[in-house]
Order: sequence, then C-alpha cells, then structure tokens
Amino acid sequence: MLSLITRRVIATIPVLFLVSVAVFGLMRLLPGDVTDLILSDAQANVSEEQVAELRRQYGIDQPVYIQYAKWVGRLATGDLGVSFRNKQDVGQIILPRLWPTLQIGLMAILLATAVGVPLGALSASFPNSLWDKLGSLITFVGASTPYFLAGGVLIYVVSLQFNLLPPSGYVSPLVDFQESLRRSIMPAVTISLSLAAIILRQSRASFSDVLQLPYIRTAYAKGLSKSTVVLKHALKNALLPVVTILGLQLGLVFSGAVVTETVFAVPGIGRLLVDSILGRDYPVVQALVMIIAVAVTFSTLLVDIVYGALDPRSSRS
Amino acid sequence: MTIATEQSLDGSHPLTMKKATRQVRDHLALIGTATWIGGGILLVLGIAALLAPVLAPYDPDAIDYRALLSSPSADHWLGTDELGRDIFSRLLFGARLSLLVAFASVLIGIGAGVPIGLIAGYVGGVVDELLMRVLDSIIALPPLVLALTISAVLGPGLVNATIAIAIVSIPTFARLTRGQVLSIKNNDYVLAARSVGVRPFLILVRHILPNVISPVIVQATLGIGFAIILESSLSFIGLGAQPPTSTWGSMVQVGFEYLDIAPWFVICPSIAIFIAVLGANLLGDGLRNQTMRR
Repeated sequence: MLSLITRRVIATIPVLFLVSVAVFGLMRLLPGDVTDLILSDAQANVSEEQVAELRRQYGIDQPVYIQYAKWVGRLATGDLGVSFRNKQDVGQIILPRLWPTLQIGLMAILLATAVGVPLGALSASFPNSLWDKLGSLITFVGASTPYFLAGGVLIYVVSLQFNLLPPSGYVSPLVDFQESLRRSIMPAVTISLSLAAIILRQSRASFSDVLQLPYIRTAYAKGLSKSTVVLKHALKNALLPVVTILGLQLGLVFSGAVVTETVFAVPGIGRLLVDSILGRDYPVVQALVMIIAVAVTFSTLLVDIVYGALDPRSSRS
Repeated sequence: MTIATEQSLDGSHPLTMKKATRQVRDHLALIGTATWIGGGILLVLGIAALLAPVLAPYDPDAIDYRALLSSPSADHWLGTDELGRDIFSRLLFGARLSLLVAFASVLIGIGAGVPIGLIAGYVGGVVDELLMRVLDSIIALPPLVLALTISAVLGPGLVNATIAIAIVSIPTFARLTRGQVLSIKNNDYVLAARSVGVRPFLILVRHILPNVISPVIVQATLGIGFAIILESSLSFIGLGAQPPTSTWGSMVQVGFEYLDIAPWFVICPSIAIFIAVLGANLLGDGLRNQTMRR
C-alpha cells in the first residue's frame, strides 16, 4: 500500500513540473512583455530608464530559467504574484473566488449522483425497459447540451417567465443560507447535466457487470427479491467504479464553471479566469491555471490511491 | 448468452432461444437506429452547410433596421437578430464554420496524436515514458481551461481556436493508439514480420496502423461533437470567432444580451449546436457498440 502511494506520488512530480514549465512558457510566448502591458495604460511618455526600472522590478531582465526558478520558488511558498490590473496580491484575488465555484461544483456533483446512480441501477436491472430508455435519453441529452443552452433556457423559463429564482449573482451561505441556495441551484443544475450523463453511463455499465456475476445468481436462487439483490448485494460492488469516475470529474466541474459562471454572473474562479484572460492579467491567469492543474492532478492521485486501497488487485498492475 | 443460461434453468430451452434472439435483434435494431439517426443528422447538417448559399432565404449579413429582433414568423422562420439579420440564414452559414473548425481540429488531433501513440507504444521504454508524461500534463488541465489558455496566448480568432481544440484532443488519440499498439505489437504476425527484418516504420504502417483505424474513427466521431462544444464555448466567451465572422457560438454570445426580449436569438443557435453534438454522439456511440461487438 505504502509503495503504491509512493509510486503514484512520484509519478505526479514530472506532470506538475511539465505543467508549470508549460504555463510559464506560454505566458512568456505572449507578444510584448509586462512593461508593454503596464505602460500601455500610462498616458505620459515613459523614458528608457523607467522601462528598465520596471523590467528590473518584475525580474524580467534576468535569464528565463532564473525567472522560472524564482516563480516556482514563490509558488511553493504560496506567493502567487501581483495582479497587473489592480496591483493586488493574486492570492487575495483568488481566495474569495474559490468558494462560489466549490459550492456550485459540489451541489452539481450531488445532484448528478442523486439522478445518475439510481437511474443507472434501474436501467441495468431492467434492460430495455422504460427506465433504461429514459436513462439513455438523459445520457445523450446531458452529454450533448452546451452549458449556455441549459443556462439560457433555465434563466428564460425559471427567472424571466415565472420569476421563481434570481437569474444571476451569488450570495454566500454564511450570509443568507436560503438565498445562497436560490442563487446557486440553477448554475448547479446546468453543470450537473453533463456530469449526470457520465455517472449514469458508468453506473449502468457497472451495475450490469455486477448483476451478471455468479454470487448475484446465487442470491436470486435463494429466492431473494430483485430489490434486495440490487440494493443489498450488487450496490456495494457496483458503486466502486462509480466513485472512481466521480473523483475524476473535477476537471469537468472547472470546465463547466468557466461557461456557467459567465452565464449566471457568478463571481467564481471560472469567471475570474475568463475576465483575466480577456483583460490580459497574466499573473492571475498563470496562478489560476496552476491551481486548477494541481487540484485535478491531486484528485486523480487520490482516486488512484483510494481505488488501490479498496481493490488490492488494481495496485499490482 | 447470459439470458439463455439463466432461462434454461427453468427447462424452457426453445422459448429461451427465441426470446434471446429477439432481444439481441431488438438490441441490434436499437443500436442501428442510433447510428443511422446520428449519421443522418450529421449528413443533413453537412449538406445544409454546403448548400447554404442556395438554401438561405436571405443574405446572412443583410441588415434590416425595420425588422430588429423580430420573433419567428413566415418571413423569418427563426426570427432576426439585433441588426435585423435573418437567423435561419445566419445559422446555415454559421454551420460552415462551426463544422469546419470541428472537422479540422479533429483531423489535426489525429494527425499528431496517432503518430505519437504509435511511436510511444511501439518503441516503449524511455520514449514512451517521456511522451506519456507530456500527455499527462496536457490532461492535467480541463479541456476548456486548456483551450482558453492556448487561445489567450495565440490571440482570439477561429484559426487559433482550431489549433487550441486540436491540441486538447491530441492526448485522447495518442493514448487510444498507444493502447491498441500495446495490445497487438506482440501478436505472432507482427513478431513474424519483425523476425524477417521488416523495418519498424513498415511494420507500424502496414501491420499495426490498420488495427488502430476503427477505434480512432469512433473516437473521431465523438471528438467532433466535443470540438463543436469547445468551439462554441470559446466563441461564447469571446475568444473564438471575431465579428464580422460568426459561428453558432458567437451568435449565442451576442444573443445572450437580448435573452429577455428575444429568446430565439439564444435558443436557435444553441439548439443547432445541441443537434450537431447529439448527432456526433449518437453516431460515435453506435459505431463503438458495433466495433465492440465485432
């Protein structure tokens, strides 16, 4: 077990190294440098000395590998740099934006699981039934619906036509719990569609695999009812792959956040990423991309380790 | 097969066989239908895009200030946009770009991904390890986030969006190909070819590549749906098509400002995207089931 963890952790090091080099390199590939961006805002003429001073201040007069090493060193200590746009500490900008994204993402995962797992189990238990057909309908529709279509329809119908929920914005649950739910439920439903499609498909596949195993036939032979067999005997074994696939969907939640937070004007990190890219605030972009990559890599790592612990066969391969 | 075994416990063998055959036939018919529907959707969209100049009732760029944001009617089947342009005509012309970007990015993705997978799988060792770590680091970023970042660096525009989407799709094709290569590279016929001294390049192209083609085609079909979603999302955010060029995604972007007074402006292009992606998913899924059965 320990060797599995060590092996997996070591495997993530080159990945994170490459991601950091890529992120750092991409930002250096941009036309012009920091000084051009900052000085483009300045009205007055700037002297050569002032440009040189700025370049020194941002450390871009040094060789690239030294800039990279310093950047990584600062990242490791939690110093994410300073925003071009408002000269604020990048960490301070990102931190308050994390919560809305996480809250909506978590709600989306819960919703998708609540729909996907039972429907997947029903589809597998009654193949070709109405349940199964409903299941494949949701799978295809969920996987094919762009976030802005789901979001647009929800805003138009729920908010504009029936005035049931506010169309945009975010309130922290610590400020007003009920209002927080009211504002985050539509973004969560929007993100949950594609998640539900994946979970449903995985649950169906995994339940139908398990339901064909000999111990299930034995359970039926003992005269147990279908619901007992599915819920008591099949559920535990069928759920393992589902939990795994769930752990690998963090990336999808971030992808969903980018569009959904734009549609619903949610001040999360998806929206912040879009705003920073459009506003060419590269320190924020760099930091956000790195944070997302680290989060996704570690969630994959965690899934690997948990899976290895639950199913010892997998750690041998 | 399982159905037959289960039922034969009751001793009703002939009936079971009949039932099993019927179920298999129903199932095949169902999959066949999905494949046909998916392929049909893509075909119709492709033809509509090709024949856009013939089919479009209006010039897609003709501005009509007397018909700003007018709702769907006999004159304008899907209504008009904020400049009074006919949405149906714009959808037809937008289809050309949306589909072109999707096809082009998938083709580039295959062009880069398949050779990488072939080399990684066949050569193995350090080369494989190195290539796989690079691909892992691409996968560490969610597709849309990666596409956004690449577009941000390359600058907004459709060509750059195509490149971004292509890069995002490379790992999928490379990994798929590598897996296929690993599963067949020690087959007798490959070993035989190697033992008589056939050059590795020829072995890869003549003996291994043909086995990779069908899973790659399945993945490419699903990839087209994915590329359409990515392109429209990039355009929706403002990093894809730039005015006056417009794709389905950029139409949605503009339309969102008028969601309360002209919902068709958002809904029509969104539904076009949905239908295209659904078509690709149905076709891809159907093809996958058929190849798996074989």
